[in-house]
Amino acid sequence: MTAEAVRPQALSELMTDTLSDEHGTSLWQGAMQRLRRNPGAIIGLVIVAAFVLLAVLAPVLAPYEPATSEWISEVTPSDVPGRSPEHALGLDPFGSDLLTQLIYGARQSLIIGVVSTAFGLLGGALLGLLAGAFGGWVDTLVMRIVDILLSIPALLLAVSVAAVMGQNPLAIMIAIAAAQVPIFARLLRGSMLGQRRRDYVLASSSLGLRRRTIVMSHVLPNSLGPVIVQATLTLATAIIEVAALSYLGLGAADPAVAEWGRMLVKAQDRLQSDPHLTVLPGICIAVTALGFTLFGEALREALDPKSRR
Amino acid sequence: MSHPVSPQDASPPTSQPEPSSGSLLSVRGLKVHFPIKRGLVFDRTVGHVRAVDGVDLEIARGQTYGLVGESGCGKSTLGRGLLRLEEPTSGSVIFDGQDVAALAPEPLRLMRRRMQMVFQDPLASLDPRQSVQSSLLEPLQVHGLADADRKEFGADSSASHLAKVFSMLEVVGLPRAALAKYPHEFSGGQRQRIGIARAMILNPDLVIADEPVSALDVSVQAQVINLLEHLQELLGLTYIVIAHDLAVVRHISDTIGVMYLGQLVEEAPGDDLYARPLHPYTIALMSAIPIPDPEVEDRRERILLRGDLPSPANPPSGCRFHTRCPFRQPTRCDDEVPELRELTELAPGRRVACHYAEDILAGRVRVRDPDLVVEPVA
Amino acid sequence: MSHSGSPVRDQTLTKASTRQPVNRNEVLLEVKDLSVIFQQRHGRATRAVDKVSFSVKPGEVVGIVGESGSGKSVTSMAVMGLLPSRATQIAGEANYRGRNLLTLGAKEMSDLRGREIAMVFQDPMSSLNPVIPIGLQVTEVLTRHNDISRADARGEAEDLLRRCGIPDPGRRLREYPHQLSGGMRQRALIAIALACKPALLICDEPTTALDVTIQAQVLELLKELVNDLGTAMVMITHDLGVVAGLCDFVNVMYAGRIVESAPRRELFAHPRHRYTEGLLQSIPRLDAPRGEPLTPIPGTPRDVIAWSKACAFAPRCRHAADDCVVGDLNLMPMGRGGHQVRCVHPADAPDPPQEIRR
Repeated sequence: MTAEAVRPQALSELMTDTLSDEHGTSLWQGAMQRLRRNPGAIIGLVIVAAFVLLAVLAPVLAPYEPATSEWISEVTPSDVPGRSPEHALGLDPFGSDLLTQLIYGARQSLIIGVVSTAFGLLGGALLGLLAGAFGGWVDTLVMRIVDILLSIPALLLAVSVAAVMGQNPLAIMIAIAAAQVPIFARLLRGSMLGQRRRDYVLASSSLGLRRRTIVMSHVLPNSLGPVIVQATLTLATAIIEVAALSYLGLGAADPAVAEWGRMLVKAQDRLQSDPHLTVLPGICIAVTALGFTLFGEALREALDPKSRR
Repeated sequence: MSHPVSPQDASPPTSQPEPSSGSLLSVRGLKVHFPIKRGLVFDRTVGHVRAVDGVDLEIARGQTYGLVGESGCGKSTLGRGLLRLEEPTSGSVIFDGQDVAALAPEPLRLMRRRMQMVFQDPLASLDPRQSVQSSLLEPLQVHGLADADRKEFGADSSASHLAKVFSMLEVVGLPRAALAKYPHEFSGGQRQRIGIARAMILNPDLVIADEPVSALDVSVQAQVINLLEHLQELLGLTYIVIAHDLAVVRHISDTIGVMYLGQLVEEAPGDDLYARPLHPYTIALMSAIPIPDPEVEDRRERILLRGDLPSPANPPSGCRFHTRCPFRQPTRCDDEVPELRELTELAPGRRVACHYAEDILAGRVRVRDPDLVVEPVA
Repeated sequence: MSHSGSPVRDQTLTKASTRQPVNRNEVLLEVKDLSVIFQQRHGRATRAVDKVSFSVKPGEVVGIVGESGSGKSVTSMAVMGLLPSRATQIAGEANYRGRNLLTLGAKEMSDLRGREIAMVFQDPMSSLNPVIPIGLQVTEVLTRHNDISRADARGEAEDLLRRCGIPDPGRRLREYPHQLSGGMRQRALIAIALACKPALLICDEPTTALDVTIQAQVLELLKELVNDLGTAMVMITHDLGVVAGLCDFVNVMYAGRIVESAPRRELFAHPRHRYTEGLLQSIPRLDAPRGEPLTPIPGTPRDVIAWSKACAFAPRCRHAADDCVVGDLNLMPMGRGGHQVRCVHPADAPDPPQEIRR
């Protein structure tokens, strides 16, 4: 653009050239910038970070060892000791320190939540990628399988897997993951099919790119946004489902492991006398789920191409 | 990418120097039909959309062929069919001696280096997550530098690829700072420059530009048109420019083909087409295009068309235009398919698909319904 | 009107209506110093429209030409009261028959919109009700404004659709908007707009999404409406060709301000503003021979400077000089017929008028 060369001095000073800075902003970077300006995202992130810190640093933060039943003698059928100088939140119905149990509970929720979501994401993404990349009969086959999975209620599916595999943490993780697989598979497939119709895919094949390259380095990266958002939101659901399974007696068999869902169910009959025993783990579950949901929603907004600028 | 042998070296040498007047692309009976599918469980094909229905074309090396027509006439599908971005149903596309329509996938993929496309919507045709640098390097990494560039930039290596990217960027008029940026950070005109640079970086022989300026602001369109013309001169390109804007096509094209419902109805050198349109559809189309000059506008006669484009799944019998033709004559137009024929005596070098082209030109056949003629104001 | 008949001329348009006779010298709509400021979420304010003034008389077509971001559409939306009230500041006046549209309540405004003022948008889908058949949408307007029976309204609606170039209108009346093609929808929308025989019609890129042969039909229809019924029309478009054939008076907008306004013939014969001049030199013309060079305007519409600091077009102007960097240039009269221009170095001017600067 030759005319810019003769632009008068006074004008040049007023102009801000949009292309003058050296660094571009990729879509991810842009999304991160928008995320930083969103109060919901910040609140969600703080909650999630606190939760993760709690889980990771549990041995440092907790005042005692978990599930020791050290003070079982102080617990009577009608009364669980409340706050005291030694126990900031009192004891749990099994004579362990309640605060310690809650802190270690975070650990359990995080492990099961993250691992099961990772399983679900991996399995679902693989199926979705298969369907989205090949289309045709592969797509039809994969999607019918997914439809069948989807027609079974998630919790029921989880219950049956847990029933078959017995009560161990891995079973719970697989149970929860199995329920998530169809969600991720559908999402990625739909997203990929949407992207495949876009002009840049046509442009890529007109440039003579290989099919594999087009799918793996163009279609897939552009289809991941909704899946990542869904994974964040699913973490919240997974944490609730872990609690729900425990509540139904299908949780981890080892009573020595502190787990919010089981804390809830074991304190159920003391709801009248000691409501804090149910309320506190309940709040922990709710707040953690809320944190992931807030962050996920903010991520969805930030990744939405319409929200740009 | 630093292997000494680039992929297309393996393929048999196809580009022998030919006289510039030779034909680069020769299309015979090209059809692109899309099946219409219905059914709950098993898809049944219940019909075909005849998007392109028998097109013959000849495009000379170094020329620009303009394709015009209204939306739904099949011009974009034709363009994509020529590059096999849509699979042709039948017909042949002879590009420099080879039938593109019959190539196996791998030779076709390697052939793509020589036939490129510029898209209408530059934002949609660029990967939103790919920086400009990566967009421009990708084709080079796939095909390697073209022979002509290898002399200038050296053998294939990332350094010579980058050098080529720099020089291409300069040709299309973008600063180097643009390389690190992403498509959404540019204006429409700048994006189209990137799209053009990407198409031209492989030194293709043929470039098909599908509505290259229609998504751009009016004041920016001329920049892109000039750039396309400049590149044609610089690289000796052959163009097919597809557009609904006849003014743009006329400005840039040597020969113009007018399409209606999947077929060519008229073909002529641009100046002749404007001075003496022969097909009734071309006559109506020409008269409908507004000219930004009140003096001209007030003196023009306008021929209006009735109704809409019929469905390409079920085209009218006889002449496909007869349902809307203001010059339609009883029975023959409805029954007999007009051939795309050369008017050897009246207009040599032109082709038209109308039974009554000579009579319309001589004034023997007139618009039948006076309501369809809008007389000049002045 | 020299032409005697065309597909759109008919009794529906010319039939004596219940409307008061038009006085072609009365100013129907007068927009005065209209400004629209959008407050963005992160504190930045954008002045989308900046002190725009124009007026329309019955039987007159006033064009507003500009590119994307010039503020032409925002101007029409503001006049029609269609801008979201949140985070939008609107200043100035839009007087329609003595009433300021900008201060009317929502109820009065929507009353007026259906009865006397109609608007046709580029995207017909947004203004047609997707769950009501086209026919009902037309007859509804007819029965609301005329004292006629349902059956008569139906017949008249059919007639209107046919005159708007919709084939087989009887069948189309029963169809829903999504069943029509884009061009057909646009014509249905125009039929609805015409059904109320508006005194003022605001068209925002009404033919941009249409093919040229359909565009020709629609423009012919609009011309007849203006000539026969004395409807006043504001035509918003980016297409100088449409303007050349249709508008009586043209306002060219750039970066939110009117930079030039003139009668049609005067504007095209003697464009004064460098932007108008540049546009005319940069568009290919159908009647120009092959190879006639185009002179593009450099840069993009994004390269603007705030009007308060300098001429907003200066960054793209080939004639820009240091004296273009003055705040708030005024529209100054120049040439004939109320030709006004906002430029320090206008075309065809041996001596730049000094008084143009404040």
